[in-house]
Amino acid sequence: MNAWRGFKTGTWCDNIAVAEFIRLNYTPYEGGPEFLEPATERTKDLFATVQELFRKEQENGGVLDIDTERVSSILTYAPGYIEKGKDIILGLQTEKPLVRAVNPFAGFRNAEQACKAYGYQIGEKIREDFLYRTTHNTGVFRAYTSDMRKARHAGILTGLPDAYGRGRLIGDYRRLALYGMDFLLQQKVADAEKIGKEDMSEENIRLLEDIAKQLDFMRQLVTMAEQYGCDIRRPAENAYEAVQWLYFAYLGGQKEQNGAANSIGRITTFLDIYMERDIAEGTLTESQAQELMDDLVIKLRLIRHLRTPEYNDLFAGDPVWVTCSEGGMCEDGRTFVTKNCYRMLHTLYNLGPSAEPNITILWSEKLPEAFKKYCAKVSVDTDSIQYENDDRMRPDYGDDYAIACCVSAMKEGKQMQFFGARCNLPKVLLMALNGGKDEIHGTQIAPEGKVFPDGEVLNYDEVLETLKTYMAWMAKLYVNTMNIIHFMHDKYAYERLIMGFHDTVVERLMAFGVSGLSVLTDSLSAIKYAKVTPAHGENGLITDFITEGDFPKYGNDDDRVDEIAQWITEYFYSELCKTPTYRGAKHTLSVLTITSNVVYGKKTGTTPDGRKAGEPFAPGANPMHGRDADGALASLNSVAKLDYACCRDGISNTFSITPDTLGVDADDRSEKLVAVLDGYFSQGAHHLNVNVLDREKLIAAMKDPTLYPNLTIRVSGYAVNFNKLTKDKQLEVIARTFHNKM
Amino acid sequence: MLVHSFESLAARDGDGLRYAVFLAGCPLRCIYCHNPDTWTTKTGKEYTNEQILKKILRCKPYMKAGNGGVTFSGGEPLLQAEELIDLILQLREHEIGSCIDTAGNVALSDAVKKVFLVCESVLLDLKFATQEEYYTHTAGSLQRTLDTLTFLTENNIPTRIRTVIVPGYNDTEESICRYVAILRPFKNKITDWELLGFHTLGFVKYDALQIHNPLQEKSALPRERLAELQSFAKSVL
Repeated sequence: MNAWRGFKTGTWCDNIAVAEFIRLNYTPYEGGPEFLEPATERTKDLFATVQELFRKEQENGGVLDIDTERVSSILTYAPGYIEKGKDIILGLQTEKPLVRAVNPFAGFRNAEQACKAYGYQIGEKIREDFLYRTTHNTGVFRAYTSDMRKARHAGILTGLPDAYGRGRLIGDYRRLALYGMDFLLQQKVADAEKIGKEDMSEENIRLLEDIAKQLDFMRQLVTMAEQYGCDIRRPAENAYEAVQWLYFAYLGGQKEQNGAANSIGRITTFLDIYMERDIAEGTLTESQAQELMDDLVIKLRLIRHLRTPEYNDLFAGDPVWVTCSEGGMCEDGRTFVTKNCYRMLHTLYNLGPSAEPNITILWSEKLPEAFKKYCAKVSVDTDSIQYENDDRMRPDYGDDYAIACCVSAMKEGKQMQFFGARCNLPKVLLMALNGGKDEIHGTQIAPEGKVFPDGEVLNYDEVLETLKTYMAWMAKLYVNTMNIIHFMHDKYAYERLIMGFHDTVVERLMAFGVSGLSVLTDSLSAIKYAKVTPAHGENGLITDFITEGDFPKYGNDDDRVDEIAQWITEYFYSELCKTPTYRGAKHTLSVLTITSNVVYGKKTGTTPDGRKAGEPFAPGANPMHGRDADGALASLNSVAKLDYACCRDGISNTFSITPDTLGVDADDRSEKLVAVLDGYFSQGAHHLNVNVLDREKLIAAMKDPTLYPNLTIRVSGYAVNFNKLTKDKQLEVIARTFHNKM
Repeated sequence: MLVHSFESLAARDGDGLRYAVFLAGCPLRCIYCHNPDTWTTKTGKEYTNEQILKKILRCKPYMKAGNGGVTFSGGEPLLQAEELIDLILQLREHEIGSCIDTAGNVALSDAVKKVFLVCESVLLDLKFATQEEYYTHTAGSLQRTLDTLTFLTENNIPTRIRTVIVPGYNDTEESICRYVAILRPFKNKITDWELLGFHTLGFVKYDALQIHNPLQEKSALPRERLAELQSFAKSVL
């Protein structure tokens, strides 16, 4: 059968050009959700089995089982099924659902500790194999300088991907469905031929080796699919095969890598083309189309990686961030919304609310009103989705980009990112005020300077000048640390399959991050507008601040302080750009903490804004809880002022509101939420997480988790199951601002 | 103007998303008041109309959908009618409509009338249905509210009536019928009559202000009962 029958042809037929294929062949949908179908009996049945497994996994302390005898790779495991005969979309990471694989390429000790934490021991054979292997982690620590180690230890730089996979990549998995592997292999071979004609620079040699690794793993994926009875050498011929091929491509990457947030990309509108064709040919019903998406989503909800409990503490459970982006506008002015975008959202009803896949709506003012309203309804009902501004990102990334992790945009298959966690900004301020010493342990971390004296009111200009010096020092160290990490990751834990689904000559982004933006902003505002006096402790360092008088606080749409927040991101970004990056990556910056704002807070002393030592930061770019006096929109307006141009890796904001505040009934709430989103994004704001729920519900869930087993809430660019959060984290979420007008 | 507080997202006080300005000072002392901190003008802070306008304009992007706008509430916004006229007119120049949330319990002065004539809509509290109850539980006059209602309807100003239902005070079908008797002549001239359930969220304010809360033993009106009374009210009006 001709796999491309009925498709409009273009240059995509001879070269890899998925975006062009989509533009030529998709059918925009402006209608509402009336056409959607409920889960089939088969889906319900299969998902009941999965839910039982989820329950057992929780009961078991978070891990169902670990295969400790083999090292995870594409061909390590025989085919696995939830229930053979009942699965439609085939493929599991290991032989049984939720059984975790051991993947020590990025760090052996990490894998070993993770096993130990759950009562397992890594198998002898693996141990022996890795005696003779250098992992990414070993490589990094060979090269780390003493400054880097100190900054890492003090927690100024935290969450660095130096012991597990760096993740945050999006392979263009659609390519496998559209072209089949034979064509993709031919293209890679042709790329190698072309590079082979050039002089053998270090980069070209590396590229040739990269391609050889990619080819090897792409061929292995063919074998893996064969074991499931599928021939992925050829293109997909119908909707079922398109979903299956695409999922195999994604799954292979998850077997090979354990990086966080290797996302699935922008797949729904692409798949819709196949579904529309099948429906027109009379070979697919709406119910079957939904069943395909439901089954795919079940598989995506089963993805797991083996993590240490510390990792889980940092990230609130063990999220995978199978981020799936949809919506947005085509450059020719049509919407990219199709019926299949609805089907993906509808899985949250057919299978219930869930954190995974991390459904991300690319919001444009021009999205069809019916779709906007449906998204808002899904938010009100499930709290499971997030929104990012397509009108703001499209000019930078074109119209075929997707989101990895929470807020990281990249052109699909054409850009990749070097993930770089984040830097603790309030701690940089405290270090600046303490002459380069860590305020908690007293260790000299940065170059020695003046400790601001006890009992002497801080002078804003002097503080700012000092802070700038230390921020510049920090930025340089940060870039250099990242350069080492990604050099070693490429060397020892290169993503052989995932990079095979990228262009050979790929654009690289190096994604830096900051945490505690609102704490640093309000601290500087306090120093500028009120009177702040440091108080020394026994060790001669500042342990407290006496703040007299009032000062403007970030989150009230007050330019006096919001300008400070803008300045911080702009200045830090410009300092980062001064140090060259590994492989010529473009510097980007995010204001995103995921859930690590709690852990960062623990490691940070008292700050001049009134936050006491150990207290959590606000998440992402959020204003500090309880400091916004004028309500939700003023708070959103403050965040909207941050400039995406210097925060191209995303600006995360989480918005929680009680249902009664938002509207009288479900319909009214959806309409008003649309107004909030339109208003926020029309100002160029980047991202919004939406929770519509009562604080009382969270308190009840904390006391008795069985009351709301699926209670999903958005935290900072992704959703989590509330019951999987640590107690600390639950308390922090409850303490956050819930916009609630009496 | 003396402002008690701003709420940039008010979704329950008029159409669409609204920017609410709570003005300080109120002539009434309703037993169920959930904003006792707005009673006196002492808690207010002076803002110029320009300052208030600037804040509101920052939220204009959110008002496009669903006919959003500004709601002046309180306290009793009509106590500052003179200044309000000016601000409402300025807002009109920016194509932002104003809604007045009032108990209608001030004298119908020229300024108050002018406020009504320039605003877009009115939320009028009809607190109690007999003069005696009204006076006992609010210290105000039912007649004044009715005069206001007459003025509003005669001038075709879109008016939505709101009544807070307090358990033990007006939560029976009989008391609903008393309201209906008052409202029937205006039935075709008002936009809606909405019942609001008494809640206890304002109790903390009484404690903080150290003033006596006459209803401190009361619980909130159950949602189900509110829904019942609301549909009863709809059926008999």
